[in-house]
Amino acid sequence: MVSIEELRACAAKLLDEGKVKAVIGYRRGSAGLLAEPCVIDQPADTESLIWDPGCVHNLALYLVKDKKAQAASKTPDKRPLAVVAKGCDSRAVAVLLQENFFKREDVVVIGVSCEGTGVVDARKLAAKLKGRTASQVEFDGADGFKVTIGNTESRVPASEILADRCLECRAPSPVLNDVLFGTAVEQRELAMPFTAVKAAEAASEEERWASWEHHFDRCLRCFACRSVCPMCYCPECVVDSTSFVITAETSAEDKANRVRWCERSAGSGESALYHLTRAMHLAGRCVDCGECERVCPVNIPLRLLNTKLEMEAFEMFEYQAGRDVSQASLLSSFRDEDPNSFVR
Amino acid sequence: MLNPAKTMTPVQDDFEPKIVAFLCKWCSSAGSDLAGVSRLQYPPNAVPIQVMCSGSVSPLYIMSAFKKGADGVLVSGCHPGDCHYMKGNYFARRRLFLVQKLLNFVGLEKDRFRMSWVSAAEGAKFAEVVGDFVRDIKALGPQRRLKVRR
Ligand code: SF4
Ligand code: SF4
Ligand code: FES
Repeated sequence: MVSIEELRACAAKLLDEGKVKAVIGYRRGSAGLLAEPCVIDQPADTESLIWDPGCVHNLALYLVKDKKAQAASKTPDKRPLAVVAKGCDSRAVAVLLQENFFKREDVVVIGVSCEGTGVVDARKLAAKLKGRTASQVEFDGADGFKVTIGNTESRVPASEILADRCLECRAPSPVLNDVLFGTAVEQRELAMPFTAVKAAEAASEEERWASWEHHFDRCLRCFACRSVCPMCYCPECVVDSTSFVITAETSAEDKANRVRWCERSAGSGESALYHLTRAMHLAGRCVDCGECERVCPVNIPLRLLNTKLEMEAFEMFEYQAGRDVSQASLLSSFRDEDPNSFVR
Repeated sequence: MLNPAKTMTPVQDDFEPKIVAFLCKWCSSAGSDLAGVSRLQYPPNAVPIQVMCSGSVSPLYIMSAFKKGADGVLVSGCHPGDCHYMKGNYFARRRLFLVQKLLNFVGLEKDRFRMSWVSAAEGAKFAEVVGDFVRDIKALGPQRRLKVRR
């Protein structure tokens, strides 16, 4: 079990000794059972830190945001940041380090092990409660959650309301950490890697297209999936160019000739290009934190696209994102024995 | 709304596929020239786009071609070991392996994307690759899945 007192003490100590400028962690949210990300810079405030199954967010995102803010600032504060990280979050930090987005000494990883369970899927829980709302979810033993509804508490087996990505998770304990709370587990009962992708693959080509056409059609292009992803850190996205400034002097020809890979209109063709391109840009980088899928307002199963490539990378190239900070990235390396039979 | 993809009959007899072919300047593009000067007969459906190396073909080029209505996309480069830039085709092979898996995963027909190694001396192979590709795509009919509808 993760001892929250020890975690708070550790955070307070880091701040007290001036080792970090702030600790990024979770605190109780004001709406519902999900925690809320918070940035704490006073040792006394570490009392509000929590760790429960509602801590769904991938906090590596805020390391990226801080790095960007410091780069844009005239008086950057270059002191390191500490971050509370689950297994998947620590993989995200590892990929960012591998890509040299920031340096190892810029971040202190306070690892928390998900041990036998993980975080809840609020949609699954809502469906299970049939209209009642839970105010809190807590860990209960190695394979269950304690759900509080009003004044009553009940125990729910973890496998029923666990987020899909946790059900499929292969590394629930942070591999990259400076300090670890909870027990490091490597193998666990639940591990069912790539279950969802394999199920999707079992359908015929026609069925697969029918379902993806439906999903691409529904995409609002709100870009929430891109905003929440710690790996989508490009200053300008290829599908949504923002650097082309139109002034009174811009000629019609300039406007017509500018390269536009993707139109803003949210039709299925344009959205397909967005999602397929995004999936390729995340190949070997997506750490399967499931955040994109969680935030999608129209429930597009985005994880499928990313885990499909994750599975191919794992099976064909023995590559796992975030496993090793020093490994060459998936697409900037090759082996002579890479598959060749698909080429004529 | 009427969905044209679902109302039109997929295969017409006079269907001539449009194929976008990204050809490496150092090999496949020269290979296609050789096929031409050797007066080999092969279908004229491929629109060649010369690139400096198969490794320079971004997945975005491929998705974009399909979005704009290509019935098939071919990427052709130098044989492994022969890339002018040493490693470009190895990078391309890995990347496009993933592209091809991803496209098929969302339901684009397998035969719509193809990769080949054609050297500057292989005019006949180039003609064969294009001929086979056109034949396979004719069997599939026009590509409507990833094409943008206006
Ligand atoms: S979050 Fe969902 S609706 Fe918004 S852009 Fe992403 S896939 Fe589309
Ligand atoms: S693509 Fe989605 S699951 Fe993958 S790292 Fe980004 S937010 Fe997480
Ligand atoms: S130069 Fe031909 S594939 Fe690289």
